[in-house]
Amino acid sequence: MKIHWFHFPLFLMCWGLQAEAATQPLSPDTVVERLHGTLIRVMENADKLGYSGRFQLLKPVVDDSFDFLEISRIVLGRYWRRLDNNQQTEFVNIFRELSTATYASRFDSYSGESFRQVAKEPFKGERLMLRTELVKQNGETVPFLYVLQPQQEKWLIINVVADGVSDLSLKKAEYGSVMKREGFPHLLAKLREKIEEYENPNKR
Amino acid sequence: MSNQQRGVFVFKAIALGVLLMFGSGCATTGSDPEKDPVEPMNRGFFNVNENLDKYLMKPVAQGYQKITPKPVRSSVTNFFDNLFYPNVILNDFLQAKFKQGFRDFARLFVNTTIGIGGLFDPATPAGLLRHQEDLGQTFATWGMGQGPYLVIPLLGPSTARDVTDLAPRTFLSPLFYIESAAIYGVGALNVINERANLLEATEIRDEAALDSYTFTREAFLQRRKDLIYDGNPPAEEFEDFFEEGTDADLVE
Repeated sequence: MKIHWFHFPLFLMCWGLQAEAATQPLSPDTVVERLHGTLIRVMENADKLGYSGRFQLLKPVVDDSFDFLEISRIVLGRYWRRLDNNQQTEFVNIFRELSTATYASRFDSYSGESFRQVAKEPFKGERLMLRTELVKQNGETVPFLYVLQPQQEKWLIINVVADGVSDLSLKKAEYGSVMKREGFPHLLAKLREKIEEYENPNKR
Repeated sequence: MSNQQRGVFVFKAIALGVLLMFGSGCATTGSDPEKDPVEPMNRGFFNVNENLDKYLMKPVAQGYQKITPKPVRSSVTNFFDNLFYPNVILNDFLQAKFKQGFRDFARLFVNTTIGIGGLFDPATPAGLLRHQEDLGQTFATWGMGQGPYLVIPLLGPSTARDVTDLAPRTFLSPLFYIESAAIYGVGALNVINERANLLEATEIRDEAALDSYTFTREAFLQRRKDLIYDGNPPAEEFEDFFEEGTDADLVE
């Protein structure tokens, strides 16, 4: 096929499309920065928003920042395979809601905190670890480590290590213990109970 | 209790720790039976401690927090930190952290003198930061396994390796050498103040935990690991749970 001048716009178009596909999806830094930015916004407006306002503001960002399917598989470990598809979906959904609820409940006031990134390190496989710090007004810092992995077109968080305590390990041990001692329906019931308690602290 | 009786008690506790540590083949991390081989006994003591806390320690600590102004509580915390600081210095040197050891010695000196017996902490703003070192961490850096997780009646979470710290902590504290009955009051103040400092942490735990026992154990063991690496554990330390998360390991 001969190349004519009228093909040129077509080339440009293809090139443009390709360039767009090649533009990097959200980088790991952006994912964490966006989450931190939302947390600060939630804290700054905590009273005005109330719990449900904070939950609504956080939900889309949390949903889009964590790999809840992968986290659920790790957290339930060997128990994951024993669940049927519906149970797995139910667990992922409740776990996702609990994660947002925990943030909405915990980040309920602001006294000058800020986040800053300290370092970025390669992790096992394609994963990455971002070391960040929550800086309090008096200069005290609390380390927050994030482990992210690439998932199709974006990077997603699969673990948060706050002040040396890995959320994934903690939940894996705890959920495993409940699964072993009480079974899946009890685990779900307990997770629902936690969400209700976060919504309505007087219930505790 | 006389000094001698107290000494015998501490030695017994350490002997128990060492025995359990070697008896278990120095198990480190892994599945629960390895990490927590005496879980039924631990859960028993955990429940006793929790009840004691719920009906006695926590209410007392809350009352203390309510009636004592924050600066006074800070001074009480500073005072006891300073009193037990010789143990930190000893373990700095045992871990061959010589520079940190000399800085910690300077910290103890500054806080004991300018800080009026440790009530104030002028060392921190002067750049002599507080460190947390103990014999359990020293043994860890020497390559010793942590041994089984232990819940000690009254004292709470520990491991066979960490129990050993009771000895230097006790013998290196000036409190041990005071014969007066006032020592009980001072000791009680330390316990109440420490419990008050933990009120926020236990509040978060009670809010988040599905199973308090497991939550406490995991958080404790991870915090210890973090301290052993001085707050900077290598990435591999966070990778163990991925092994079971992969397809190959999901089938039991």
